[in-house]
Amino acid sequence: MTALVTFDHATLAYGRRVVLSDLTFEIPEGDFLGLVGPNGAGKTTILRAILGTLDPSAGTVTRRPELRFGYVPQRDQVDYGFPLRVLDVVLMGRYDRVGIGRRPTRADRDRARAALGAVGIAELAKEPLTRLSGGQKQRTLIARALVGEPNLLVLDEPTTGMDLVSTTQILGLVRELHERSGLTVLMVSHALNEIANYVTRIALVQEGSFRIGAVDEIVNERTLSAVYGIPVEVDSFDGHRIVLARRNPPAAKAGDQRGA
Amino acid sequence: MLDAIFLFRDALYGALVIALVCSALGVYVVLRRIVFVGASLAQMSTLGIAASFWLAGVGIGGAATSNPVILSLLATLLGVVFFSTGMKRARVPADARIGVAYVVAGALAILFIAKAAAGEAHDIFLQGNILGITRADWLVLLAVSVPVLLLHVVFYKEFLFISFDQETARALGYRVERWTLLLYLTIGLSIAFAMQFAGLMLVFNFLVLPAVTGLLLARGMSGVFSWAIGTGLAAAVIGFSLSIPFDLPTGPTIVAVSGLLVILAWMVQRIRER
Repeated sequence: MTALVTFDHATLAYGRRVVLSDLTFEIPEGDFLGLVGPNGAGKTTILRAILGTLDPSAGTVTRRPELRFGYVPQRDQVDYGFPLRVLDVVLMGRYDRVGIGRRPTRADRDRARAALGAVGIAELAKEPLTRLSGGQKQRTLIARALVGEPNLLVLDEPTTGMDLVSTTQILGLVRELHERSGLTVLMVSHALNEIANYVTRIALVQEGSFRIGAVDEIVNERTLSAVYGIPVEVDSFDGHRIVLARRNPPAAKAGDQRGA
Repeated sequence: MLDAIFLFRDALYGALVIALVCSALGVYVVLRRIVFVGASLAQMSTLGIAASFWLAGVGIGGAATSNPVILSLLATLLGVVFFSTGMKRARVPADARIGVAYVVAGALAILFIAKAAAGEAHDIFLQGNILGITRADWLVLLAVSVPVLLLHVVFYKEFLFISFDQETARALGYRVERWTLLLYLTIGLSIAFAMQFAGLMLVFNFLVLPAVTGLLLARGMSGVFSWAIGTGLAAAVIGFSLSIPFDLPTGPTIVAVSGLLVILAWMVQRIRER
């Protein structure tokens, strides 16, 4: 299987501030990878390097020629104050194919409608974006990412701020897209519990460290306790992994309070 | 009344050209939440005009200060580069930088005018002198505005994309900083030329109020542009027509009409929502 993106001893930095160093990993075609870590750990930095908007300060990040990204940004990156219809937003995913200074054609509009159908909101094509629910907005952004016919679908915190139902639906939709067409997916999230039950591999970023592997290799008590530096439990319920930080014993907590 | 308006027809044409270009570009100013960037650019343009008067008064600059548009344009373009490229990298919040530019440019403009030869007479240029627009003036305005508007028609989807969702545009290979600079340049260019005749208040009015009216009335981008341009032109015509027979200052009358249109649009929107 060919790699779409290859990190070879890459160091990622903003000016002199090194965020992550000596990263070596690949995103092979057909992968369903979760990039997980707390806020500020460096997920967005890795994402920028993957997208090519941040060059490594050392080492290399290689993207396969003709690689096309379908990008779903964090929800707050999009300005929902714009009076745009859902179809107009989806069409933006084809703007780079349409070319600078040119207008989308009827074929582009047909593809946009098909992409809306693929994410289950074909009937909302003419609705104003502002009137949609959080889940529908996210489906719109996923449709926009798909309409460009990407090799790699990248979703940045796709479930932040969503309720349980919408989160489950969006993650289920992404998995369905991956399984249906073998689309390579990279999902960035701070929520390990959500991601661990959907992806096939996980890359964990935490305070400058980086680990990547199959879900079972990463989501286990030994690895997670070592990475996070606190005791972590990994339980299974009805086939779902649940990651929990072990609570401190009450006595220790009381002692902490006395000492404070 | 029509005779009086006919007498000032060149001024009306000038006002209409300014209304047209500023109302159209104002849609981006309002949607991108850079209203105060617009105000600061207009203020910097004022600074350029004032500096021209002062320099010309003390005999410095020669041809560069004989026509205020040169320094006005230069000051505005400096502001464009400052606002379009430096905002994200700065430690100081963007709105604070805009505030600094606005107040410093305003104060310097007043100081330059105070020390300019016949400074009081030049105040009219800071407030605008829409009735003083000649045929040559509005033809110059048109020569600047038509290419700017054409650029916006051709690159509509690019300006829309980088305004709506920069991160995705960047991920799809758009050079967002360059497009942003081009967008700001068109806004700055229009402001610098409009400022020569319309003054700070009227330019700021056309950059903001028609776009707000458009956003209140329309449900899609093309509708917003149409309403913004339509109400901007309407405010110019109505305000102009009222100011002459009632002996009112033209700029503030146009602004008052624009404000009235915003209130009407707001009422229409409230009725629709019920």
